[in-house]
Amino acid sequence: MTNTTTLLAWRNIWRHPRRTLLTIAAMVFADVLLIFMLGLQFGQYRMMIDNSLAIFTGQMQVQAEGYNDEPHMYRSITAADALAQDIRERTQLDAVATRGYGFALVSSESRTLGVQISGVDPLHEPRVSTIPGLISQGRYLGEVDSNEIVIGSTLARNLKIKPGDELTVLGNGRDGSIAATVAPVVGIYESGSRDMDRHMLSMPLDTFREVFSMDDQAHSIIIGGARDQGDSIAAAARDALQQRESLVLLDWETLMPGLKQAIQADFTSAWFMYAVLIVLVAFGMLNTMLMSVLERTHEFGILLALGVGHGKLARMIVTESVALATIGMLFGIACGALLVGYFFFNGFSFPGMEAMGERFNIPSVLYPEISIRSLLPGPLAVFITTLLASLYPILRMRKLHPIEALQAV
Amino acid sequence: MKYSAALLLLLFSPMVSAESGTDARDIIRDAINHYRGLTSYSEMTMTIHRPDWERTMSMNGWSSGGKKTLVRVTAPPRDAGNATLVLDDNKVWSFTPKINRVIRIPSSMMSQSWMGSDFSNKDISRTDEIVDKYDHTLVRTEESDGHTVYIIESIPQEEAAIVWGKEISHVRDDYVELEHHFLDQDLETVKILKTLDIQEMGGRMFAVHQRMNMLEKDDEWTEFSIQTLDFDREIPEYLFTLSNLRNPRD
Repeated sequence: MTNTTTLLAWRNIWRHPRRTLLTIAAMVFADVLLIFMLGLQFGQYRMMIDNSLAIFTGQMQVQAEGYNDEPHMYRSITAADALAQDIRERTQLDAVATRGYGFALVSSESRTLGVQISGVDPLHEPRVSTIPGLISQGRYLGEVDSNEIVIGSTLARNLKIKPGDELTVLGNGRDGSIAATVAPVVGIYESGSRDMDRHMLSMPLDTFREVFSMDDQAHSIIIGGARDQGDSIAAAARDALQQRESLVLLDWETLMPGLKQAIQADFTSAWFMYAVLIVLVAFGMLNTMLMSVLERTHEFGILLALGVGHGKLARMIVTESVALATIGMLFGIACGALLVGYFFFNGFSFPGMEAMGERFNIPSVLYPEISIRSLLPGPLAVFITTLLASLYPILRMRKLHPIEALQAV
Repeated sequence: MKYSAALLLLLFSPMVSAESGTDARDIIRDAINHYRGLTSYSEMTMTIHRPDWERTMSMNGWSSGGKKTLVRVTAPPRDAGNATLVLDDNKVWSFTPKINRVIRIPSSMMSQSWMGSDFSNKDISRTDEIVDKYDHTLVRTEESDGHTVYIIESIPQEEAAIVWGKEISHVRDDYVELEHHFLDQDLETVKILKTLDIQEMGGRMFAVHQRMNMLEKDDEWTEFSIQTLDFDREIPEYLFTLSNLRNPRD
């Protein structure tokens, strides 16, 4: 008997093939759109994170406890180079670099500005930061103890300097002494990150240490590497930290809380749009199911008169909508995966994206993500709301009386 | 007639309240004059204390009138020769012998730390700016060791470019300042300058030992201790010039 219901439901679906196909098409369209948008969004977030971290922050950092919250110069890592080397060996990763940070007044001939200064290791820095590769004029720092400076492009413009000009640096060392030096600018970088280009100046680590009385200290050990291997890298780095006191390993979420928040905010607003899309599809489905139930009132009357129970009729209608929704979902996922798959290999770009990409530090070609979290949530949401939409016609049908139904046209 | 009486009352009422303001302003002006004299010369040490280190520098200071100040570090050798010149309220230059450069501190950096201490570039100049660019109110008076202490609230005037929301001074009746509280724009206290020792020096009672304390950080402070103080001596004007900052003739 169940087979009869299923068979009846199947035949009912195809009684109006055009209507059915249109309904399925609406679902497929919504599914594809959701899959595409989600895939693109996740791909974009991934790139945003990777690119933001690649500029300067790295995947994780070792710092002295409390430095991240209140970056005082005296909160530093002693024997930092040895520790960095230890981490390099344990993680089998070259992308580990030592840095010192300070704040100083920087003067050119015509201007003085307060600037963040980073002392970097020119040998390892290119493996954790893209800045060394983004030199637009001149060259990057040479030796770890050479007396030279590279500087962000906006800062260079604000100070009115070009490679070859000298800058005066005046600040305070780790021990409170006066830190001062004069060094030539050898290169200007353009990272695309506003903060880095506007507020940052780099000099070789050992020079930095001498100027700021840092001995063998540093403020941060930056660890790069692939993000999906983050856990194993972090575990190896923690082993290295065990012999040291009051040092902490910080992940990128802690180092760049703003980035994570921006992504969450963006995702929330996007979901609002998706919800609207899903509700629209649900209404389309409601319309189809309601029509197909109403137009069959007479027919249902006959069935009821013949002794077919309300329950069985309800089951038939549910089977119809489940079948419709399932077909829609399967085709939706298939088409969505095909579309996303195409762009996954070929990249996706639209006009104006270059300008936007520069602003948010994302590349102008996007590669959407193919994963369960991008493929399934959209179609599943459409599937469930579709089933919910078919409840209303069923509830109507349950009130149907055979005599009245038979009199309906 | 009634109206004009009310108008008269309206006209005079601000003057009545302004009068107490003048009192408070006089006390602040006298305290600054007491502190700076016509001219002054001092020898002092500054100690910066941090959780894991402490550092003491010796320095000489000169001041002239209400606006001009010169401070030159004499020890330790690593820092000796560093000097700061203040002219007017917002013009601060720093000289560093190591690189032989004079740098003008931009006005955006005035609230930054002076030589790594808890004093800002602004604090160190301690000009008479507070007299004219603030509105002063005498909040209350206290008795302490046979002295009357005036507690005065000073709020920067609307157009004055000052980072603080309010300053509170505790000034003794012989114009020695006992405490100075710095409050931010939300009127939360940021740091407090406290006088630890008062002695007769340079012919007047003077706060010879003071400590600046960032609030809620008991292990971070900066102390000033004055060894020699001389007021109203002849100080040549060329002392307060950029060329003298770079090539000292003092």
